Formats: sequence, C-alpha cells, structure tokens
Amino acid sequence: MIELKNISKNFDDLQLLKDFNIGFKKNEISCLFGPSGVGKTTIANIVAKLVSVESGSISGIENSLYSYVFQEPRLLEWYSVYDNIDFVLKDLYDLKERKKIISSYIDMVELREYKDYKPKTLSGGMAQRVSLARAFAYPSDILIMDEPFKGLDMKLKQEMILSFQKLWQESNRTVIFITHDIDEAILLSDTIFIIKNRPAEIIKTINKQTYSNFDDIKKILLTY
Amino acid sequence: MRVSTIQSKLKKIFIILFWISIWGIISLIINREIYLPSPYSTLKALYKLLFLQETYTTILFSSYRTVFGFILSCFLGILFGYFCGISRFLYDLFNPLINIMRTVPVMSIIIIALMWFKDTNVPIFVAFLMCFPIVWTNTVMGIKNADTKLLEMCKLYNINKFRIIKSVYFYSALPYIKAGMISALGIGWKVTSAAEVLSLPKYSIGRFLYDSKVYLEIPDLFAWTIIIVMLSFMFEKFLKTIFKLGGYDD
Repeated sequence: MIELKNISKNFDDLQLLKDFNIGFKKNEISCLFGPSGVGKTTIANIVAKLVSVESGSISGIENSLYSYVFQEPRLLEWYSVYDNIDFVLKDLYDLKERKKIISSYIDMVELREYKDYKPKTLSGGMAQRVSLARAFAYPSDILIMDEPFKGLDMKLKQEMILSFQKLWQESNRTVIFITHDIDEAILLSDTIFIIKNRPAEIIKTINKQTYSNFDDIKKILLTY
Repeated sequence: MRVSTIQSKLKKIFIILFWISIWGIISLIINREIYLPSPYSTLKALYKLLFLQETYTTILFSSYRTVFGFILSCFLGILFGYFCGISRFLYDLFNPLINIMRTVPVMSIIIIALMWFKDTNVPIFVAFLMCFPIVWTNTVMGIKNADTKLLEMCKLYNINKFRIIKSVYFYSALPYIKAGMISALGIGWKVTSAAEVLSLPKYSIGRFLYDSKVYLEIPDLFAWTIIIVMLSFMFEKFLKTIFKLGGYDD
C-alpha cells in the first residue's frame, strides 16, 4: 500500500491539498477521477517525488522506481524512437539486454517499422505509444499515467488502451491513472477515487469488484 | 522545378546588377575616384590583385587569424556558457565580465592589445574578445531554454547528471549555439581586419587597407573590402554546410 497521510500542498496562495489522505493498493490500477485543476496531477507528482509537500508523510514508496506517461509524450526530439527508450535504460542494463527489452516493447506498441524515426515524424498517437513503451520498458514499481489518452481520436485511444492492457498483463505494476473520462476510468481501473473541491477531497471511493455491472458505476460517476 | 531555379538565378543576377549600376551612377555623379571609385576601377584593382602571389599569402594569414580567434571563442564560449547556463552562481559571477566585454569599444581593446601582444597575435586576441560574449550568451540562453518538462522526465527516470547534460542540455542549446557561431564568425572577420589595420602584421588584409589609405589608392581599398566580404561569406557557407552534415537539424 502506498499511503499519503495528512498531506498539505500550496501553490503560492492556492491551497490545493489540506490534510489529504489517500491509499493506493499495490499491483492494482487506481484511478484519480475528477475535473481539471482539482489537483490530481499534484497528488500523482507527490507520489513520484516530483513535487515537495508542506506537511504530511508518504509511505510505501521506499526504493521504488517510477515510470510516468505524461500528458504530452515528452520525448527527446533529436533521438529516434529506439534511442528514446534506450535513454532511460542505459544506466540499468548492458547493450545486449537493452536491445532485447527495447525491441520487445516496441513490438508490443506496434511501432517496429518506426523504430528509427524521430518523434517529429510520428503522429500524436504514435508518439504517445512510444512514451507508453518507455514507461513499461523501464523496470518501475509504480507507473503513473496522467491523462495519457487526452487529445487522441477514438481509434487511437482504443489502440492505446489495448497496448496498455497488453503491457499491464505482462507485469502488474502499481498504477496511478489520472483521467476525467468516465469510460476510461471504468474500463481500466480497479479502484476509482472521485476527487473534487478545493482543497481537494475524496468524495467517494469505488471498488470495481463490488459492482457486477459497469452501468451502475457509470451512473455513480455521472452524478459527480 | 528547373525553370523556377533558372528564374531565381536570373532574379539574383538582376538584383546584383541593379545595385552595381546604382553604385556606378553615383560614382559618375561624384566623379572623383578618391571619394567613390567606379565599379570599373574597383574591378580592375581586384583583377590585378588576383594575379599577385602576395594576395593569396595575405588571405591565408588573415583567414588563419580570424579562424583561430573564432575557434578559440567558440571553444571557451561554449564551455563556459554551459556551466554558466547550469549554475546560477557561475552565471552571476561571469555575467558582469561578459557585459563589460560586450560594451567595451573595439578600438580600446585593440590599443591595449597592441601593448600586450606581438602584431600578428593582436587580431586573434581582439577577435576572440569580440566573439566570445556572443557565443557565451547564446549558449547560456540555449541551456536555460532546455525544456523543463524533459528535465522532469529525466529526474523521474533517474537519469544521471552527465547524461542529462549530454542528451538534453546539449541538444536543446544546439540551435542557439549554431546561430551564435554564425554571427560570431561574421563579426570575427570585421574585427580581425580592424585590428590588423592598427597592428599591421606583415601579411594581413589590414595592412593593405592601411596602405591604400596612405597612398590614396581607394579602388584598392574597395577591392580588398570585396575580398573580405567574399571570404566572410564563404566561411559562413562552409560553417552552415558543416552544421547541415552534423545530422540533427531543427
């Protein structure tokens, strides 16, 4: 379990989090669901140690490795698809092993023919798939995905979701998934935290296993 | 495609001829070679220079001075620019010095350099002092413009510092460094010639410029000026070609 306890976080005069508590189960997909600007990304970034907090404690992340699918692909434009993934693995494996890992993940996101292409020549969806492959190729314990399907059309979104599901089945990591799309939330997550207000609060926690019908969950989400 | 390239070539020739004829007309009106030589007498002077062996030795030595000063300023400008871009403290430490270098008149530097160095080294030193701030400033700017989102990504994936410098900062700064180097090279040519006029090394374009003033051979002055412009232009082309071959281009 990854636990945030009594977390407070301000941005200038804005109090985003005040005595905020949340727990993410290990090897599950947890979803932070809520409107834009409520602090979902901040919560994820606190877990990833990308932002500091004013007060509170975090447990369950000791010695964890992270990977992150950002809202934008965040690829190095001067490197090829292959080298972009290689970039994050270089300190961890030798050349032979890296080759094996990279090509297997490039295959999984179906970009084999594009492995020598620069990001600029790829479509938005393809670039985001590279970012997904990079996140999975990295041997992380915790994977954060911040609206990874935003701005993609239906077809690309489905492709990405399929890629994600395939990759996740290979290795069940602890995933924190941020979205404000109801269907994505229901389709992918085990637990959904509905987050609202300022400072942010968890309005409701939905455990998917306790519901037999997806439509019931959808009804609940629609009321928020 | 072919037709359009021919058209653009013709256009270029027309533009050149247009400005040369303007020059010719003005020189006709003034009608005094000492104020403004005609295109014809300039060309004649240029033609004569092309058959002198000394011309080529001179070009070689002046090019050596410019290029040496330029390379020195690029090497040190990029090196210091890098560290100053990354470290706020180093930036604050060096910035006043660079600002002074940027604003000090070239002539003051040349005169003080005459006190310190041998004649042939004065232009090199002056070119270095003039080009260094440009390269430094552009490098710092490029480093500071490195995408914070990419840096955040690197932090998340535990990329070591050295590789961040090599793979993120270097490439982010590259377009800025290239632009800085191109303008530094142009300024290098101007400044080297100016310094040569005052320091008068044995083989130097500056010496010829000085002589043409002393002997009132103004067509020679114009001819040498054309040579400097052509050289500067050629070196810039050469530098741009190297950049193109260098692979990553934005």
